[in-house]
Amino acid sequence: MDIFLSAIFAGTSRGAIYALAALGLVLVWRGAGVVNFAQMGQAMFSTYIASTLIAQNYSYWIAFVVALISGGVLGGLVDLLVMRPLNRKRSSSVLDSPAMRSTVPVIASLGILGVLQAAAGMIWAAEERGFPTPVNSLGLVINGKIMPFTAFDLFVIGIVFVTLLATTFFFKGTGMGLAMRASALNPEVARLSGIRIGLVRTLSWVISGVASSLAGLLVTPSANLSPYTLDLILIIGFTAAVVGGLDSLLGSVIGGFALGLLVSFVNVYDAPEDIFLAILIVLLTVLVIRPQGILGSKEVRRV
Amino acid sequence: MLEIKDLVTEYGSVKALNGISLLAHEGKITTVIGANGAGKSTLLRTISALEHPHSGSISWKNKSIVGLSPEKIVRLGIAHVPEGHAVISQLSVEENIQMGALFRMRSNKADVRLAIQEIYQLFPRLEERKKQLAGSLSGGERQMLAISRALVSRPSLLLLDEPSLGLAPLVVEQIIQTVNDLCRNTGLTVLLVEQNANTALGVADHGILLSLGTVAADLPAAQMKADVALRAAYLGY
Amino acid sequence: MSKASSYGRKNLVISILFTALVFFLSIKLDPYNQGQLSVALMFFIGILSIVLLTGASGQISLGQGALMAVGGFAAALGILNLGLSIWLAIALAVFAALLAGLLLGIAAARLSGPYLAGTTLVIALAIPSLATRFESVFGGDVGLTIDFGNPPAWLTSLMGEVGYEQWQLLATLPFATLALFFTSNILNSRTGRSWRALRDNEVAASLAGMKISETKIFVFVISSGFAGLAGVLYGLRGIVGPSVYPISLSLLLLTGAVLGGIRSILGALIGALLVVFLPDLVEWASASFSPSEQIANYLPAMISSLLLILTVVLNPGGIAHGLHHKKRHH
Repeated sequence: MDIFLSAIFAGTSRGAIYALAALGLVLVWRGAGVVNFAQMGQAMFSTYIASTLIAQNYSYWIAFVVALISGGVLGGLVDLLVMRPLNRKRSSSVLDSPAMRSTVPVIASLGILGVLQAAAGMIWAAEERGFPTPVNSLGLVINGKIMPFTAFDLFVIGIVFVTLLATTFFFKGTGMGLAMRASALNPEVARLSGIRIGLVRTLSWVISGVASSLAGLLVTPSANLSPYTLDLILIIGFTAAVVGGLDSLLGSVIGGFALGLLVSFVNVYDAPEDIFLAILIVLLTVLVIRPQGILGSKEVRRV
Repeated sequence: MLEIKDLVTEYGSVKALNGISLLAHEGKITTVIGANGAGKSTLLRTISALEHPHSGSISWKNKSIVGLSPEKIVRLGIAHVPEGHAVISQLSVEENIQMGALFRMRSNKADVRLAIQEIYQLFPRLEERKKQLAGSLSGGERQMLAISRALVSRPSLLLLDEPSLGLAPLVVEQIIQTVNDLCRNTGLTVLLVEQNANTALGVADHGILLSLGTVAADLPAAQMKADVALRAAYLGY
Repeated sequence: MSKASSYGRKNLVISILFTALVFFLSIKLDPYNQGQLSVALMFFIGILSIVLLTGASGQISLGQGALMAVGGFAAALGILNLGLSIWLAIALAVFAALLAGLLLGIAAARLSGPYLAGTTLVIALAIPSLATRFESVFGGDVGLTIDFGNPPAWLTSLMGEVGYEQWQLLATLPFATLALFFTSNILNSRTGRSWRALRDNEVAASLAGMKISETKIFVFVISSGFAGLAGVLYGLRGIVGPSVYPISLSLLLLTGAVLGGIRSILGALIGALLVVFLPDLVEWASASFSPSEQIANYLPAMISSLLLILTVVLNPGGIAHGLHHKKRHH
C-alpha cells in the first residue's frame, strides 16, 4: 500500500512537469502549427541563466523571473530568425509538397536544439549543476512513512493549474487568443480577416517559451542541470501532448499526469529500463486507436 | 473606384493573368465571368495580395494598393471571400464572425457589436447556430458565414469568389439577392466572380468576360447577357 | 525501355568510378583517415536510407539509428551465438532490419509530419534501451564485441600488408557501391516516381489508384534495410551496444542528409563526408586561434547545427541542389 501510494505521489509530481512541457508544445502547435523539438533546449538555456544568477547571490525569485523572460525572448527569436524566414521560403521546390512543409520545421527545430545545447556547453562547460527549490522540499509523512511528495511538488501542481487556466482563458476568452487559433488553423482566411499572422505567431512562440522555461525551472531541482537533461522531458512531453490531443490544453495536462503515473508505476513495479518501451507502446496505441488524442478534435490532424 | 491596369500574375512560368485591365464602379456590382482556369480567382487573389502581381497596377479610390500585405488591404476596406466557403470549421460560428472584426475591435468596439447584430439580422440562421462549430453547418450556411466574416469588417469593396459553388439553386438565389440588397442599400461595391454567368449577370451592373487570363469582353451586364454569340463562344451555352 | 537502360548504364559507370576512387584513396590515406572514410561510407549508406524515406517519399524519421541498432545486434547475435561469418551476419542484419522496418512501417503509415518525427524519436530511445533490459542476451550497457576480423589471405597476397582500418574501408566499399547502384536505379524507376508522386500529392496519388499505405510501408522496409546495413558495418568496427547507436546518431544522419541535399544521392555522399570530417576540419581550422577546450569540444556541434538551420532556411535543397543549379546555368 505504501509503495502504491508513493508511486502515485511520485507520478503526480512528475506528471505536473510533463504537463507543463506538453502545454508548451501545444501552445506553439495551436499558435503557429509547428511542433517545436527545440522547446526544452530553450528551457535548458533559460534555466542555466537562472542558475548563474543564483550562483551570484541573486534571490531565487529574481532568477525565476529573469529565466521566464529569457525563455520568452528565446521563443520570439526562434520565430523571427528561423521560422519566419522558413515560412517565406515556402515557394522553394523542396518545400512545395505538404509532406515536406510539415517536416522541414521539425528539422529546423532540431537544428535550434543543437545550437542551444552547443552554446550552453561552451558557456557553462556542461558542468552538472544542482538547482534550488523556492519552498520546503521535505517529504510528506503518511503512517510514519516519508512519501515522495513535498510542498514543492504541491507548488508545481499549483503552477500547472494556474498556467492551464490562464492559457485556456487566453485562447477562449480573448481576441488575441482567437487570432492565434485562426492563424494556426487557416492562415489564409486569418490574413483575409485582417489578422497580422506574423505578429500572432511570434507571440505564440513567446508564450510557449515562457511556459517551457517554467517547466525547465521546476524540473531542475529533481534532475541536475546539463545541456542534455531536459531532452527526455521533451520526448515524454510530446507523448503526453499527443495522448491528450495536440490541440487541447486540458488534454495535454491530463496526458502529462497520465504519463507521470505511467512512468512512476513502471519505475516502481517493473524496471526503469522499460520506461521508454512503455511510452512507445502507449504512444503507438493512442495513435492507432484514437489519433486525435483523448480530447483533440478530429479535424486538426491533417493526415 | 477599383482600377486595374495591365495586370500580369504568374504561377511559376504560367501566366494566370496576362494583361488584365478593368474598372469596378463604386456602389455597383461588377461581375467577372469565364470558364474554369480563365484567371477569375487569381484576379481576386491578386487584388487582396494573396498573390503578388508580376506587373501592372491596382488602385482603390485612386490609391495604389500593389505591394501591401493582405492584412493591410483589409484595413483599407477591401474584404475578400475566397472560393470554397472559406470559414474555419474548427471555430464556432460566432468566433468566425468575430474573427473578421478583430483588427478593429480595440478602436471601435461599439461599432463591431453593432455590425455583428446587423449580420444576425441579415442571416438569422447564423444567430440560431452561433455556438455550433462552423464545420457542422450546411454548405449554404457556410457561405453565409464566409460572407458575414467579410461584412463585419465593414468593407467598402467586397470581393466575392464563386459564392454559388456547390449550392442548391434556391440557396444561390438567396445569397445573390442578399448581396444585391447590400449593394443597393448601403452603397457597397461588389466584384463578383462567378461561373454561373446567368445568375451573376442577372444582378450585376457590368460584366467582364475573362478567357485564358485576358479580358475577352467588357460590357454592361444586360448587354452581355443578351449576347448569345459571345456566350456560345466563351461559356459554351 | 532504351531510356531505362541508358540510366542503368550511367549508374554502372558511376558506381565503377566511385569504387575506383575509394580504392585509390584506401591506398593513399593514413590509417586514421582510412577509418574515417570507412565511417563516412557507412554514414553514406545510412543517409541513403533517409534520401529514400524523406527525400523521395516525404516521410521523416528520427529513428534511423534504432534501425541501425537492430542490424548491429542481429549480426552480433549471429556471429557470437551461431558462429556466422561476417558476410552472412551482414545478410542477417539486413533481413532483421527489413523486418523491423515492416513493423515500423505498419505503424508509421498512418502518421505524417511532426507525429511521425516524434514517434520515431521515441523509437530511437526505446530500441537501444532493450539492450539494457535483456542484458544477458544483448550485453547491457557495454554491448557485444564483434569486428571485421583479419583481411582474407588473397587480399594480402594481392596488396601486401593490409592494416585493420584499410580492411575496414575495403570491406565497407562494396556495400556502399551496392547501395549507390541500387538507390540510383530505384529512384529512376517507376517505383521511385510513384514514391515522389506520393510525396507531392497524396490525394492525387490515391485517386490515380496508388495504394498509399502499402507504398509507404514498402518505402519504410527498403529504407530500413539500408539503415540496417549501415548499422551492422558501423558495429563491426568493434562494439554493438546502446552507446554506439545513441539518439544523436539518428540526428547526425539527418543533419548529413539535409546539408548534402535530401533528394540527392550525391548529396548523401557529400553530407556523409561533411558530418564525419567536420570535427577534424574544425580542429584544423581553429588551431590558429587555439580556443579553450570547453569551446573546442562543442564547436563541431555548433557549426553543424548552424549549418543545418542555414540550409533549411536559405537553401533547402542542400549543397547538391546548389551544384545542380550552377551546372544548369553555366
